[in-house]
Amino acid sequence: MKKAGCEGGSKALLASQPSLGEPRDMSGLRPGYAVWRKITDSLSTFLLWAAMAFVAAVLCSIIAFLAAKGGGTLSWEFVTEPPRNGMTEGGIVTPIVGTLQLILVSMCFAFPVGVTTAVYFNEYARGGALKKTLRLAMRSLASIPSVVLGLFGLAFFCAFLRFGTSLLSAGLTLGCMVLPTIVTASETALANVPQDYRDAARALGATEWQTIYGVVLPTAFPGIITGGILSVGRVAGETAPIMFTGAVYFAPGFARNLFDSVMALPYHVYVLATAGTNIERTTPLQYGTILVLLAVVLGISITGMAARSRLRKDVL
Amino acid sequence: MPGREEGRRNLSEAAPRRVITAVAMSGILVMVFILLFLMKEGMPILRDASITELAAGRLWYPVSSPPLFGMMPLIAGSMAVTLVSSVLAIPFGVALALFLTEICPKRISGFFKITLEILGFLPSVVLGFIGMTVIAPYLQVRLELLSGLNLMNASMLLGVMILPTVATLSEESLHAVPQSQRDASYALGATRCETMFKVVLPGASRGIAQAAILGVMRSLGETMVVLMASGGAALLPESVFDPVRPLTSAVAAEMGETSVGSGHYHALFFMGCILLLFTLVLNVLVIKIESRREAN
Amino acid sequence: MSQAKLTVESLSLSYSRGDPPALRDVTLDIEENSLMAFIGPSGCGKSTFLRCLNRMNDFVRGVEITGRVLLDGRDVYAPDVDVTSLRRRVGMVFQRPNPFPFSIRENVAYGPKLLGERDRGRLGEIVERSLRNSGLWEEVKDRLDAQASSLSGGQQQRLCIARAIAVEPEVLLMDEPTSALDPMATARIEELARELKKIYTVVIVTHNMQQAARVSDHTAFFLMGELVEHGPTTKIFTTPQDKRTEDYITGRFG
Repeated sequence: MKKAGCEGGSKALLASQPSLGEPRDMSGLRPGYAVWRKITDSLSTFLLWAAMAFVAAVLCSIIAFLAAKGGGTLSWEFVTEPPRNGMTEGGIVTPIVGTLQLILVSMCFAFPVGVTTAVYFNEYARGGALKKTLRLAMRSLASIPSVVLGLFGLAFFCAFLRFGTSLLSAGLTLGCMVLPTIVTASETALANVPQDYRDAARALGATEWQTIYGVVLPTAFPGIITGGILSVGRVAGETAPIMFTGAVYFAPGFARNLFDSVMALPYHVYVLATAGTNIERTTPLQYGTILVLLAVVLGISITGMAARSRLRKDVL
Repeated sequence: MPGREEGRRNLSEAAPRRVITAVAMSGILVMVFILLFLMKEGMPILRDASITELAAGRLWYPVSSPPLFGMMPLIAGSMAVTLVSSVLAIPFGVALALFLTEICPKRISGFFKITLEILGFLPSVVLGFIGMTVIAPYLQVRLELLSGLNLMNASMLLGVMILPTVATLSEESLHAVPQSQRDASYALGATRCETMFKVVLPGASRGIAQAAILGVMRSLGETMVVLMASGGAALLPESVFDPVRPLTSAVAAEMGETSVGSGHYHALFFMGCILLLFTLVLNVLVIKIESRREAN
Repeated sequence: MSQAKLTVESLSLSYSRGDPPALRDVTLDIEENSLMAFIGPSGCGKSTFLRCLNRMNDFVRGVEITGRVLLDGRDVYAPDVDVTSLRRRVGMVFQRPNPFPFSIRENVAYGPKLLGERDRGRLGEIVERSLRNSGLWEEVKDRLDAQASSLSGGQQQRLCIARAIAVEPEVLLMDEPTSALDPMATARIEELARELKKIYTVVIVTHNMQQAARVSDHTAFFLMGELVEHGPTTKIFTTPQDKRTEDYITGRFG
């Protein structure tokens, strides 16, 4: 019945065009193939689940391993006392403070410049060569390996500008590194400000700048800050850019001014693990320092993530 | 420029515009300075050694006398870790992205996305440390190697580092494939995996290519992991269990020991130039792909 | 009269537990080699009902379906039914043309390839026959390797029809197939639908009553999730039994 219908249909449908004969019965094509399709479907679903589970397991075991090994070292003294005895004893307050100082310096540079750049992109730029060039520069900057930025910091900040191996040089180098991140995050935040707000402010007679400063920036502020927090997390964990621009193996105390060199948590981890005089003896210190570093970096980053997800819910 | 006309009319409009434009331009300045200063410090090595000697020389003895600046083993090391880590991590990352967009129930996909993001936040020095203290001894005992610090060790960790980048960016482009195309495939009797691999994946191919290149780029430029876990031998690797000394690790390890202005110092900056060149070329590739995506 | 190809018995559907049902107790026969149109105002459940026939609603999370849909007398919601082979037998054309981002040839060959057809010659035949039967062959025969997106909207929709019939379905469901097209393209699709019913059983959802009157043998009128009335098209449009049907087709609402 079906076949008769097909034949008749094809002929009637395209009387002027020769039909290619009756349709093939597709249901039984390649016997067993349907079973094979079902097996591959289930198998690949299983493998993809397994892949994700594997990644989650890797992350959990890394964190659990470090927590188990370093948990015993953590104490109030560990985070409030400076290293002693050739860094084989004592705490890590010096690198903790150094890392905080580096964050501060880098953000003092990268945050204002990054937000201003984003304002330029989103509010002022009207296409053209200048905007394109800046866009290209930002993307290139974002792709530069951090160790190459370290070289640049050494040649430019330390040597050319004579800042020396210092908090300032290292902070500025880190600032260059996170500048594109801050620009992108701020741009997204600015783009999410409804055009109505700008129109309303302009309709009240506000100048372009008054509109941006009084309406657009405050509205975008939570998003901008969230981007800032996430880039602070990156600054706190990076080692390569500060290795030869400002971080040192050991410093007797905190950096008193911008031109002092500093100890930093990530570099301290590297030093303890590879360059210590007595690596065996410092093992507990290594795990303890890593745990503190992880707590700082993940603490900041997760705060940023939480702020971001709250923000997205508010927007919705 | 319209900005100028407005400026004449009203100074209070023009002044902030000028200041903001000027500050924003510092981004270009930074990039120009980076290029300039790396060249300035890197090019002088060409007085001591020719390009051929640098690129094709197999001996890296920068402090012997006379110093030998053959960078081939280092370049090969960089290539090798980048290649192995990409081969491991890119398919894996795409698989994770497929899982997140096509298979994972919505309720728990948020949890897995957070997992991936946290993985991406792990400082590289921590992963390098894991490579030294966990993976290296394991590889050494298990495979009876001379040292567990080798190409494989570093590549696995680099893979972990670039995995979140590849997965997140791929997921974005898979997400952009219209639901209607999935519907069309299902309506023809395709299974979920057929739809996934034959419709969704090809539909997102450009975005995934972009994600892969960005992964390669990160892998090439990553420093701490290779510095700590790759073994540091400036030799051409013959197997994945040979130690290597990629460019980034050579720069990081040796810069502290050189004197400013020495041949060694300039050689390390020259390596910086090579790395910069590689990443900028890859970056151009990404931008090309992106503009083609936008054109479609 | 032919026998019923599809039989629907008291089908109800709700999108999540506790919600008012989107479809209420629908019972309907669809005859083989006929063209049935579903009409009704938007949101009346006609598209939802169509998607029940090839189980495309399975993807909606939390959906609850009761009742039976029989294809050649077998319940398509029975636990042992293979959904993929059901969907091969019951093809679908969507509201907006949704070709894959492949070439014209690859779009049509996609379905047969899934079924395991690898032979290039036979695939070529299938592609040609499907495109001929969807009336697109003459327009694209010289550029089968061009991207599907290079076609016009109407051509894309006919390509989607060719893609759907390449796997030789028994039923072809069309979900407002002309809503995104201009009048000329719409006319071609309507003509095609009338031809296709000679080979397949065709069900077409439309918000356009004239379209239903022009193309269909039978018409079913849906309102707020209920099947109000169904029967031969001429009868529905000339002597509707239900007041609501009359109001709708005379344009008093919707």
